[in-house]
Amino acid sequence: MSTAVLTRTVHAEWLRLRTVRASWWFLAAGVVSMLGIATIAGLEERAESGGPAASAWLAAVITTMPGQFAFYGLVLLAVTADYSSGGIIPTLQWTPRRMVLFVARTLVPVVVATAAAVLLALAATTLVWAMVPEFTMPWGEADVLGTVALVVGSGCLLSVGLGFLFRSTAGGLVTVFLVMLVLPLILPQFGYDWMLDIAQVLPGYGAAYLLFGEDMGITTTWAVTVLAAWGVGALALGAARLVTQDADN
Amino acid sequence: MDHTSSGISVRGLTKRYGEVLAVDHLTFDVEPGKVTGFLGPNGAGKSTTMRMMLGLDKPTEGSVLVNGRRFAEVEEPLRHVGALLDATSAHPGRTGRNHLRVAARTNGIPLDRVEEVIDQVGLGAAAKRRIKGYSLGMRQRLGIAAALLGDPEVLLFDEPVNGLDLDGVRWIRDLLRGLAAEGRTVLVSSHLMSEMQQTADRLVIIGRGRLIADASVDEVLLGLGRRHVRVRVPDPDLLAQALGARGVTTHRVGADELQVDGCPAESVGEAAHRLGLPVHHLAEVDQSLEHAYLELTASAVQYHGHTPEGALT
Repeated sequence: MSTAVLTRTVHAEWLRLRTVRASWWFLAAGVVSMLGIATIAGLEERAESGGPAASAWLAAVITTMPGQFAFYGLVLLAVTADYSSGGIIPTLQWTPRRMVLFVARTLVPVVVATAAAVLLALAATTLVWAMVPEFTMPWGEADVLGTVALVVGSGCLLSVGLGFLFRSTAGGLVTVFLVMLVLPLILPQFGYDWMLDIAQVLPGYGAAYLLFGEDMGITTTWAVTVLAAWGVGALALGAARLVTQDADN
Repeated sequence: MDHTSSGISVRGLTKRYGEVLAVDHLTFDVEPGKVTGFLGPNGAGKSTTMRMMLGLDKPTEGSVLVNGRRFAEVEEPLRHVGALLDATSAHPGRTGRNHLRVAARTNGIPLDRVEEVIDQVGLGAAAKRRIKGYSLGMRQRLGIAAALLGDPEVLLFDEPVNGLDLDGVRWIRDLLRGLAAEGRTVLVSSHLMSEMQQTADRLVIIGRGRLIADASVDEVLLGLGRRHVRVRVPDPDLLAQALGARGVTTHRVGADELQVDGCPAESVGEAAHRLGLPVHHLAEVDQSLEHAYLELTASAVQYHGHTPEGALT
């Protein structure tokens, strides 16, 4: 793969991403949900003044849990919009080397969305720390931002892979919500072991474990492996469809 | 593998979608310096063939080389091949200028060139508007601008005059002729036969995915007997008998007039002269390409319309 061609394609993908309003709407949704939740949490904690001291970094994980889905929508649409608009036809005329397009179209939105999530998690933490005098913000706990990057980055890889695989915004979004939120939340509630076993191999279960670190019957290694496997697996299937099949059939 | 080093070379190209054979072992060349018209009824396989030329669809069999290479191997494709396949295929939320800037970025083309092609296609006033507000004609112009962006040697246009007004049609006609005159390879599909008659040098006609004709416009008209001669003499039966003896087909079209198929006017005049017949009228009559095309593709039309009885009365 020529570095020059890849570099040019990456530049083009960045221009493509930032020149549609939908990208900015999803980013705005991420800002509103993460900073909005941080503000509400900060107001509640401040109302209970005199409470126990706590780490403001908790705001990073609490706001990432709902906020992550705005970034999955952003990266998914970066892939599927070309299929719904027919834009994939000129795109593949301009970049006929499909693996080059695949790498650039994965790299740009995933890096942008993950960086935005990390920055917003930091902003949410700072906001809560500034609003609640009892809260501290020790830099020794800043590694939580790495966890946010891992969770959101993996979820974005999964979303991009599903976008290339399904070529449909609706199909991709439904699947992302099912495996990242709905099924990991609901399956353990039934009380059957086999349902819990299924939940534990879903990426949303691993994401929740990494963010909150509660006793959920799995280890950090297991959670990271599950997240990575889903991300890499979806990407591999998506790449296979892009490379081996007709442009938009 | 190197069928020809310049132009487009199609060899045994076949595309099957399940049970449907969309393109059936097509073989033809598109030469530089000419406008080649690509004709065929709806569903003939024109767009599928063009998509395979650009690597968008994968052939079931056969190959297409553009300037001696597979399109997917070209590093800066816009500098070699420009194409307009479907004018509506663009993100509606992006402005025309940004659409072209993305194209330029992918191929390392300076952004100044974007402004040049915007002016060339007459979209200057609309360049900063979102594509969803464009008419079909404006989208065609935008697609043509993208095709011209890299100043390529090979150009493919699928129905480029769709949605264009009369000025636009004239503009695209002059553009295609000008591009071919510069030595570029120009392949253009159209369902407007009159347009092809005025624009194309050569025709590739397909039906049901198969090649029907690959010839110059004149060869299509003459070779099929569509160019005929009308002659008026005092004794048309005598002339018809003499021509018939040479295997020439004639039809009586008036009291003293014959239609002679597949024979030039000079030969008809000489035959009359040898018989001592005074010639009162002698003329070659060109039938339209449309007529020739309809006869050629009559058995290859996949989708027929039906006129309800009495609708035309």
